[in-house]
Amino acid sequence: MAKNYATDYKGVDLLAVAAAREVNDGDVVFAGTGLPMLAILLAQVNHAPNAVCIYEAGTVDGRALDLPTSVGDSRCAWQASIAAGLTETFYGQLHCGYVDLGFLGGAEIDKYGNVNTTVVGDYSAPSKRFTGSGGNPDINSYAKRTVFIMVQEKRRFKEHVDYITSPGWRIPKWPSGEYVHRREVYGKFYQGGPSAVITNMGVFRFDDEGIMYLDTVHPGFTAEQVKDNCLFDLNISRCKGETERPTVEEIDLLYKRVDPEGIFLP
Amino acid sequence: MGKPQRLTLKEAVGLINDGDFLTFSGFTIWRRPVAFCYEMVRQGKKDLHLFEVNGGTHTEILAGAGCVKLWESCWVGHELYGKLGEAVARGQVEGTIIVEDYSHAQCVARILAGAYGLPFMPTALSMGTDILNPKFDNFKKAGLRDGSDPKIPLKKYDIIHDSLYDKGEILLMPAVNADWAIIYASQVGDEGTVRMFAHSYVDAETIKAADKVIVIAEEMVPDSYLRQEPDRNIAAGHAIDYVVVQPWAAHPTGSQYFYDVDADFIRNFYQASKSKESYDKWAQEWIFGVADHEEYVEKLGVNRLTKLKANSVLGYSTSVKRGTR
Repeated sequence: MAKNYATDYKGVDLLAVAAAREVNDGDVVFAGTGLPMLAILLAQVNHAPNAVCIYEAGTVDGRALDLPTSVGDSRCAWQASIAAGLTETFYGQLHCGYVDLGFLGGAEIDKYGNVNTTVVGDYSAPSKRFTGSGGNPDINSYAKRTVFIMVQEKRRFKEHVDYITSPGWRIPKWPSGEYVHRREVYGKFYQGGPSAVITNMGVFRFDDEGIMYLDTVHPGFTAEQVKDNCLFDLNISRCKGETERPTVEEIDLLYKRVDPEGIFLP
Repeated sequence: MGKPQRLTLKEAVGLINDGDFLTFSGFTIWRRPVAFCYEMVRQGKKDLHLFEVNGGTHTEILAGAGCVKLWESCWVGHELYGKLGEAVARGQVEGTIIVEDYSHAQCVARILAGAYGLPFMPTALSMGTDILNPKFDNFKKAGLRDGSDPKIPLKKYDIIHDSLYDKGEILLMPAVNADWAIIYASQVGDEGTVRMFAHSYVDAETIKAADKVIVIAEEMVPDSYLRQEPDRNIAAGHAIDYVVVQPWAAHPTGSQYFYDVDADFIRNFYQASKSKESYDKWAQEWIFGVADHEEYVEKLGVNRLTKLKANSVLGYSTSVKRGTR
């Protein structure tokens, strides 16, 4: 049966739908507050009913009746298989290797998928501070795949981020600080790494060298426009075409089942 | 040890000295001992050293008032209701607060080590980040790692080679053993047994890791009631030194099965936190303008509190408006 694609949707809807499509049925997913929640919840009510959602504040596989506004929300604990704490989620779930997919955000990203959520400028004398790392680097360092959901702006897609909060594919090996492939830093602890970046303009993936390329461009944009919105030289030669549009059913689920109160959606 | 001592909020806050090292219960905008933080601001506490597995609205209340000198953590903000921790950010940019960044799970490793009486805990999380950049060790740069403060480790972290299974390099995170854990609890028994509702975050570890523990409880119940289901309790009375019973003590943060997060209150505070002047004006109204937490609750008003009140089955408010629809 041909899919019934929506003609009227907002940028944020496509972002949530494209992110949800990264979830395979049965995946164990670690999700942060905001769009990541929409993505995992949409996947669960649509194509991945056996996906398990972990929120870092302490709940495993909750079945919230109402959308949580943060990962610490009481709503996360409803019908959870485990409601414990951070030791369970970070060490009992993540560090022990259960997590397939992490959904994260970021303020700045570079072509290797290194993400900054800490400061603008030199860390020793910053001009601005963001929230800080939170669990972003932890999830990103131990989930088998990580998907970043971000706003596409030229100043956010940089050659080098001001501070590596969260590790991409080429990262410093301390104490020397020499940049090496992620496998070299993690060794036998290696689990995986960033697999996609989804913005309001396109979907990006990483090649064998760990360098970001444009995979699909969202309807209404061109690959060149996306390239123009990056400070680094984005590889657009592998672009497969347009990102699949949301279906009428997906938009319906998003607005009626996942976020009927309009908490994260407009 | 024995039964904890009952105190008023003012008496409990009076035990805290300038320069003391504190940790708190809760998670971002949930189950924070906010009433205790308000009273610390009223009593003019200075130069506090905070270790927080994560920060939140209470951190900003303290930082905005100039109570904080050292802040070790991974995150500060107000979740959906205010995207940055403006007061901590201002402190870091202006140099009035020395910030030491770890990752969230590294903070958990630190409190776990502290809780279990270990000097460190290994973790392979967040390797290859600037959190580990030796140039960015702010405590070292401030001369704080010379061993003169026994609560500050000589190194921010260490890297060792796993000599037991030869898995390669792994991080060691130093234990945290603060002077005080300030714990907001859902319920405390009359012998000091502590219960948290919904999820426990890192509250059990935070209690164990501190030298002294003050519990600020939403309600006190007979210990015999809590002992009917011991698997739901997170701490025994001998781990608790002082107990304060103070309803609505977590407001504006949420307390599962008692009240929801006061989103509008936090949004307003977040706006006010964007400059020293607007923070001071806000504090004049909500902290210094009331004598104590009872007056604060009265000022909030019965209609506001009724809306926040949790549904007793679901554990959260079903009448508070959260989104745009």
